[in-house]
Amino acid sequence: MGRDKKVIDNINLHIKKGENVAIIGLSGSGKSTLLNCINRLVEPTSGEIFIDGKNINNETEKVRGDIGMIFQNFNLVNRETVWSNVMNGRLKNISTVRTILNRFSRKDKKIVAENIKLVGLEKFAYNRVTDLSGGQKQRVAIARALSQNPKILLADEPVSNLDPKLMNEILDLLKDICDKKRLTVVASLHFLEFVKKYSTRVIGIKEGKIIYDGDPNELTERDIVDIYGETKDWCTFGKIGF
Amino acid sequence: MKRFFGIKRKSLLLSISIVIIYYWALKGTGTNPIALAKGVPYMIDFVSRMFPPDFTNFNLFFMKAMETLQMAIVGSTLGALIALPLSFLAARNVTPNKTIYHFVRSIFDIFRGINEIVWGLIFVAMVGLGPFPGVLALTAHVTGALGRYFSEAIETVNPDVIKAIVSTGASKTQVIIKGIIPEVKPLFLNYSLYYFENNFRAATVLGLVGAGGIGMELITSMRLFRNQEVLTILIIMIVMVMLIDRFSAYIRKKVIKDISLDGGTYWN
Repeated sequence: MGRDKKVIDNINLHIKKGENVAIIGLSGSGKSTLLNCINRLVEPTSGEIFIDGKNINNETEKVRGDIGMIFQNFNLVNRETVWSNVMNGRLKNISTVRTILNRFSRKDKKIVAENIKLVGLEKFAYNRVTDLSGGQKQRVAIARALSQNPKILLADEPVSNLDPKLMNEILDLLKDICDKKRLTVVASLHFLEFVKKYSTRVIGIKEGKIIYDGDPNELTERDIVDIYGETKDWCTFGKIGF
Repeated sequence: MKRFFGIKRKSLLLSISIVIIYYWALKGTGTNPIALAKGVPYMIDFVSRMFPPDFTNFNLFFMKAMETLQMAIVGSTLGALIALPLSFLAARNVTPNKTIYHFVRSIFDIFRGINEIVWGLIFVAMVGLGPFPGVLALTAHVTGALGRYFSEAIETVNPDVIKAIVSTGASKTQVIIKGIIPEVKPLFLNYSLYYFENNFRAATVLGLVGAGGIGMELITSMRLFRNQEVLTILIIMIVMVMLIDRFSAYIRKKVIKDISLDGGTYWN
């Protein structure tokens, strides 16, 4: 957040357990900042965040451990294997000494193996992530987030770097896993087709302020214009599904 | 744009400046191809006196070359080990604060800025003749040089990767171990091996100031005009440099390809 400009301003949100929330808005509207504030990757200049009724303002590392996050660019350690990358999701559970010695417990290894299997990458477990396709890399990132055993899953434009076929594939996988695990999901998405298909609630942000909060199926063309403005942007993304 | 004889004024000024700088540098150093050409017969005479090489003292020279190698191994390793933790303090993206960053960077610059020979003279004065001051000289220079290169390598790590590891709830140390070190490992290895190769060559020169190794034998043989022994020493040095280069290339290839296959078949 800049000193002079507020990226997000006066946002009040209450997200219920198990909700699939999609955040939409133009690039630079504050979607990513809002997500990053939830797990304190961006420290808010003011305000409070509660998880399970508990104020998390002073428990940064513990809070992050309970919130999995998936990124647009996958953000994997490229020189490491799928296994090592997914194992990074268990770091909050082990000591620094064990990290240095690379000694993980049987339980940690079991969780990692289960999640690699869940995303269908068991055959690639010992491959370096640079050898994988974009879709496979995002699966690794999902497995890493799931290995944290998170209560909440944040996804910052998780399919923006993938082709349309892979977009569906990854979002199907994500929805399936989150429904099974009853995870709360907050994702920023660009494509309204996906918003309608995968989310139970949509939040529209414009210039750092919430201007729409409701059912994705009740989004009107007027709402879309309000969120994206009278620009080509919403024509490109917004009309899909309408 | 003004032109003189069809050339842009800016280009003309630049060309004249370059000519003046080179004239100044060549004049100042007395660089003269005619003098070099005149010296060729002396060079031929000097080289011809080296043949055939004299292997009488081969064992002594070989042992001294081993001492030089030992100096390079210990100096490079100690330098790298000292530089490694300090480099994280001198990397903008990891350092705890700017004061520490500037302080450690300055230390690196001082250690790197002083040549191995100068360090050699300092340490010979401190601890006497022999390989030990040579080791200290190499360690000091390598600490500065590798510290600088290591910290710059750390700064090139993709911040998104660091962000992702931080987002899992990992501590700062865990982020360094699992997010930064795997990414910079090949660069660290490359720089360390390069300095190991460089240190072997530097260690031979350190002998000239009394800091042990084969360099001491080289300067002694040269002063006594034992040209055939000089050739023997040069052959030993060249062969060892070639072997070290091959060894470094092998290690580079091996480690860069290597991936830790940790874990097990837990999904069965």
